[in-house]
Amino acid sequence: MTVTAPTSEVVFDVRNVTLRFGGVTSLNDVSLQMRRGEILAVIGPNGAGKTSLFNSLTGVYTPQEGSIMLAARRGDSPTSVVGMKTHRVNQLGVARTFQNIRLFPALTALENVKVGVETRQRSGPIAAMLGMPWQRREERESNSRAYELMKRVGLSGRANDIASSLAYGEQRRLEIARALGTNPGVILLDEPAAGTNPVEKRELASLIKSINAEDDVSVLLIEHDMKLVMSVADRIVVLNFGEKIAEGTPEQIQRDPVVIAAYLGTSAEQAESQADAQPELRLIDIEPEGEQS
Amino acid sequence: MTQFFDYLILGLTRGSMYALIALGYTLVYGVLQLINFAHSEVFMSGAFGSYIIVHLMVGKGPGTATWEVPFVFIVGVLSGAITAAIIAWLLERVAYRPLRRRGAPKLAFLISAIGASFFLSTLASKLFNSQTSNQFPAFFRNTVLFSIDGAHVRSLELIIIVSALGMMFFLDRLVNTTKLGRSIRAVSEDAPTAALMGINIDKTISRTFVIGGLLGGAAGFLFGLNYDFGFNMGFVPGVKAFAAAVLGGIGNIRGAMLGGLLLGVVENLVNLVPGFNTAWTDVVAFLVLVLVLMFRPTGLLGERLGRAA
Amino acid sequence: MTALETRTRPAPPAAPHRRGPRIPSWLTRLLACLGGSLVLALMIGDQEGSQTDYGLTFRKQILAPRVFAFLALGVLLFLCVSYWPRIKPYLTRPGFWPLISGGLAVLASITLMHWFDQAGNGKFGAVSDAVSRTSGISPIATAFYGWLAWTMLVVSVVVGGAAIVIGLRWLAFGVAALAVVAAVITYLAHQAVVDFTGQPDHSLGYLVSILGYIVILSGMLAAGLSHEASARSKHFVTRVLGFRPGLPLVIVGFVVTLLSFVGAAAWFSPSNKNTSLSETHDLFASTSINPFALNYLGWLSWVVFVGTLALAAAATWYRHRLLGWLAALAGAASTIITLVVLYDISKLGARTKFDGATGPWQNLGVGGWMACGGLFLLGSAGFVVATSARATRRVAAGTANGSLSGSPNGSGPNGVSATGSVAAADAAPATQPSPGRRAVGYLTAPGAARSAVLIAIAAALFYPPTATPFWQQVVVSEIGISMLLAAGLNVVVGWAGLLDLGFIAFYAIGSYTTAYFVGSLPVKPPSWLHMTPLLTIPFAIIACLMAGVILGAPTLRLRGDYLAIVTLGFGEIIHLAAVNSQSITNGAEGLTNDTGRHTKSVPNPSIHIGPLHIHWGLNQLQYWYLLLVFLVVVLLAFRRLEHSRLGRAWAAVREDEVAAQATGINTTKVKLAAFAIGASTSGVAGVFFASQIGTFTPDNFVLNNSILIVAYVVFGGMGSLPGALAGAAMLTWLPEFLKSQVPSSDRLMWIGAVVMLMMIFRPAGLIPARRRAAELSGLDGSSSSETRAVPAGEGL
Repeated sequence: MTVTAPTSEVVFDVRNVTLRFGGVTSLNDVSLQMRRGEILAVIGPNGAGKTSLFNSLTGVYTPQEGSIMLAARRGDSPTSVVGMKTHRVNQLGVARTFQNIRLFPALTALENVKVGVETRQRSGPIAAMLGMPWQRREERESNSRAYELMKRVGLSGRANDIASSLAYGEQRRLEIARALGTNPGVILLDEPAAGTNPVEKRELASLIKSINAEDDVSVLLIEHDMKLVMSVADRIVVLNFGEKIAEGTPEQIQRDPVVIAAYLGTSAEQAESQADAQPELRLIDIEPEGEQS
Repeated sequence: MTQFFDYLILGLTRGSMYALIALGYTLVYGVLQLINFAHSEVFMSGAFGSYIIVHLMVGKGPGTATWEVPFVFIVGVLSGAITAAIIAWLLERVAYRPLRRRGAPKLAFLISAIGASFFLSTLASKLFNSQTSNQFPAFFRNTVLFSIDGAHVRSLELIIIVSALGMMFFLDRLVNTTKLGRSIRAVSEDAPTAALMGINIDKTISRTFVIGGLLGGAAGFLFGLNYDFGFNMGFVPGVKAFAAAVLGGIGNIRGAMLGGLLLGVVENLVNLVPGFNTAWTDVVAFLVLVLVLMFRPTGLLGERLGRAA
Repeated sequence: MTALETRTRPAPPAAPHRRGPRIPSWLTRLLACLGGSLVLALMIGDQEGSQTDYGLTFRKQILAPRVFAFLALGVLLFLCVSYWPRIKPYLTRPGFWPLISGGLAVLASITLMHWFDQAGNGKFGAVSDAVSRTSGISPIATAFYGWLAWTMLVVSVVVGGAAIVIGLRWLAFGVAALAVVAAVITYLAHQAVVDFTGQPDHSLGYLVSILGYIVILSGMLAAGLSHEASARSKHFVTRVLGFRPGLPLVIVGFVVTLLSFVGAAAWFSPSNKNTSLSETHDLFASTSINPFALNYLGWLSWVVFVGTLALAAAATWYRHRLLGWLAALAGAASTIITLVVLYDISKLGARTKFDGATGPWQNLGVGGWMACGGLFLLGSAGFVVATSARATRRVAAGTANGSLSGSPNGSGPNGVSATGSVAAADAAPATQPSPGRRAVGYLTAPGAARSAVLIAIAAALFYPPTATPFWQQVVVSEIGISMLLAAGLNVVVGWAGLLDLGFIAFYAIGSYTTAYFVGSLPVKPPSWLHMTPLLTIPFAIIACLMAGVILGAPTLRLRGDYLAIVTLGFGEIIHLAAVNSQSITNGAEGLTNDTGRHTKSVPNPSIHIGPLHIHWGLNQLQYWYLLLVFLVVVLLAFRRLEHSRLGRAWAAVREDEVAAQATGINTTKVKLAAFAIGASTSGVAGVFFASQIGTFTPDNFVLNNSILIVAYVVFGGMGSLPGALAGAAMLTWLPEFLKSQVPSSDRLMWIGAVVMLMMIFRPAGLIPARRRAAELSGLDGSSSSETRAVPAGEGL
């Protein structure tokens, strides 16, 4: 592989990343480039290393080998995020959601979003204690921005409910709103459709598209729901056993024999013949159960 | 060198008692992920319980035949252990289980245990006496057994170290090989799953408290033999043993043993440093703890029960 | 644990725990009840036992006949628990709980409280002895203290209970009438004794007793009037409180003020006199007192009272905002006028050296302060009306817009801004009908929370002057300071979720910093740095901030329990350092006295700003009001902080640290901020402590005190500022109160028992925080899921 300097048109430039836990190799020599403004989906069977990839990208895990360069917002110069603290990575413009929803359960929905919004604010504790004008202004700004985002994800009616009292699908959307609150250049969605019903899935797809188109946010998506992936993703990366086995447009991936083999557990040759027989439906029907964390 | 061995022996004696108490903290932490703040009172009750029995048997001590002494010792250990086990069992039933049923926040358990601790120590001072200098008959205190490089080893010290090590060995076997040990380990790994596997969590937790109580009570008797004791005896050794448990990696049984012995030895050996003032001993103990935790945030041996090296 | 999983044979889920003989649950229950009553029997009695006679108390209590009484109590308890389902319907009938709580209040007042200061230990028993020995006292007092008090209590409770159980309405009304009679008799009997001796009296027993009868009265009225099978007390209370916001304040204010005016309490009480309002007027009529004060004592007071009352009543009834503000203004003005008059009469008394008075504010009776409190409450009612009217309107607007409008002005329906926080509490039921909220509480009616706060303020302002010097001392040096400490620790434990067991260390640092800068330590500051105690506050804050950062920076990445032991170690290190550094801190002796002179080693604080000279002397009240200023400042600041960016960041870190990091929160920084803010609050408390008490030793800063502060916070309700204050007040008041009830060495035992019971029956604390759906969930996630996993089996 030739090494080229990442241009600012690349959001994440992942090169030869290897991540091990003791004897288990979670990611093995994975390289991928995420382009600015695209919706890139990462798919793969359970335990393929998708969430490990997310965690490496956001600084939760530090890969033993390889480099990850990040230029989240337009005009940023690429920075290495290997070994960087999670909150620093977030401040560079990377927001994420979690596979097993991690809201702040005792805060209200609105407060959850405000926490995200306020990580971009400056006023300190003393200003808050004294009720300084600029602190009050920031408070107002955070309030209205949070309301805006709640409306955006369709939760405006539930702003003052305790987060843990929201329905499952609402919690997922609330997490997205919180992530958007940090004003990211790229958002990482970890199985946003898990446990949601078909209607919610359709809404989610249009939400993802609108985030991508209107807010100029690149989207990196882990998802098992192939219908959703195929309908929103610009490109797809397939992981299996910690290795990247395929990359391409949805159409390419659906026809890729290696991918089909990975999902069906059959040999590539058999899969190829099956895929030729029914190229479209095969992958879409397969919906593995959500991974256990 | 004489001094070194002197302090080493003192340290091992003290350390083995810390280890016995620390095991109580660590066992309970293992199954409940809670610091049992009242464990120091369980330890204290062991000393008082054995005192009643020993006092009934031999009074203040004079006129006891030599052959009776080991017998008295064994009875003392047993009575201390049993008293403390009963107290520990009651403690779990009264101060922990109702809160567990209500799904109380973690700190509520802590506060309830602190309440129990105040209650037990004051009740002991009320029922028995409020002096701090009660003493067991001085059977073993001053007989020098043998010397290492000029440092005297008194028989009591040897007995304490040996019996403590013996108990720790038995505990280790118990946890690692018996069915009860397996349920304790299972509950500390993952209580809901353990319950699904047919393990009675309540019973396991109760028994864990009882085992911790047995060890703590025995330590109480040994402590009483070696030093003065009273209603407030639990506090300082309790805090130290808690520190020892954390030092070794709380929830880890071998960690607690190691931590206890280490803490006892270190806080005695530090006396060898020229110009060291004994008043600062406790500071040293905590500094060691802080330093260790800074470099190994989960203690020396890590925190998993039954997964010791 | 793969090995384990393979080895553990999963038992069939139907009968998983059937090994060995099963103890029947009723037997366990019986044993528990008997054991509990036995322990109770052991707890009562004097401290006994010595090295020679070991276990004396034990034998005495076990062999005493009263142990059988206690065992019978245990059996009774057992029966109650066993037949609970059958008993319960009776207990939830309307009026039952008021009857029981009223009865308990009367019982407590008779057994525990003071009835007359001058007789023996002041308790009911001593007074009744004195009364029986005295001839010439009014027969009503003789009867009351002799047998009537007990008879009335027993009859009203027993007959009232019977009326409820059988469901006889006429009997319920009869008991209600009896309660009225009993309250009147209690008042008359107490007044008769006070009049007979003519000596001033500060006891509260009779008041509590009367209050108890009033509660019984309300319960019996409810029993007689209600047609429902079970009481809905919460609903009822909410409806009453919500009927007219501020109305309860008007009623309380009216009653208190009226009582103080009609002669129920003395306005001027030098040692040999108790003069009511009109008597005070007569007393001062011939003196050179200024005419305004005299007029006030004569008639102006009534005018002021009636005027304020009318305004407040009208405002609450019509819910008129402008009237509300007017009433608030009138209340404030009349309170100030009353204070001015109190100042005038006490100053005149002091000028003539009347009864050894040395300055103003001395020899005043309870009446004046009661009047101040009552007028203040009337004004408060106006304030509540004025502000809650606004709150309701805002809520209406918020819901009307459906909060969809993006709420550009920032005052969203939950009133997120700092000033709207109380309004948010008020607005809660209107905006949050969602299932996530807990069931309706007592203080959810509009304005109710605010009214409670205002009553607390009134009590804080006007109760201490009426207390005995002992209680004044307690209020200042125990309750006040621990409230400050608890508020500080609440930031660390309650909001940021960090268990700090060495909090007292910062308090020590604050105290020693003060001692250093006023030159009371063996090490002296350079002479140009020598200062008065209050000026050291910034230095103490800086010292504590530094200590907090030094402790926090390396240790805050540790998880809960490790952090706990490290902070505990830090506390011990500071304590031992104070004990051992003879040359710096004067060692274990502490600052007992200043090089042999028997004076306080930390001088009293004083403030000199331009023409304003305030010097704090030995009068505890002065310290109380200073402390109150501190407390109010700290509370207002913390209130804002809780609803600020940092407050939410704390909550986020407490709830889910990983998510907080992923959302861009620098968790280390946020935790450090909590540590530093908590530490500096503690430091301020230390400065105050040092300058108030003057002498202290390292023993003031032992580990037990750190643990006690944690207990205050958790007892009161973690993460709730009013809770932390209430917890601190309760748990510091309790030992002082017990001082006169149980042997002093038994106090810790009772406190321990109370704390334990509280945690068992109300683990969320006295006043649980609003945000506590998952308190410290980062830590107790496993234990709560485990609770669900535990099968409901044997046991109590």
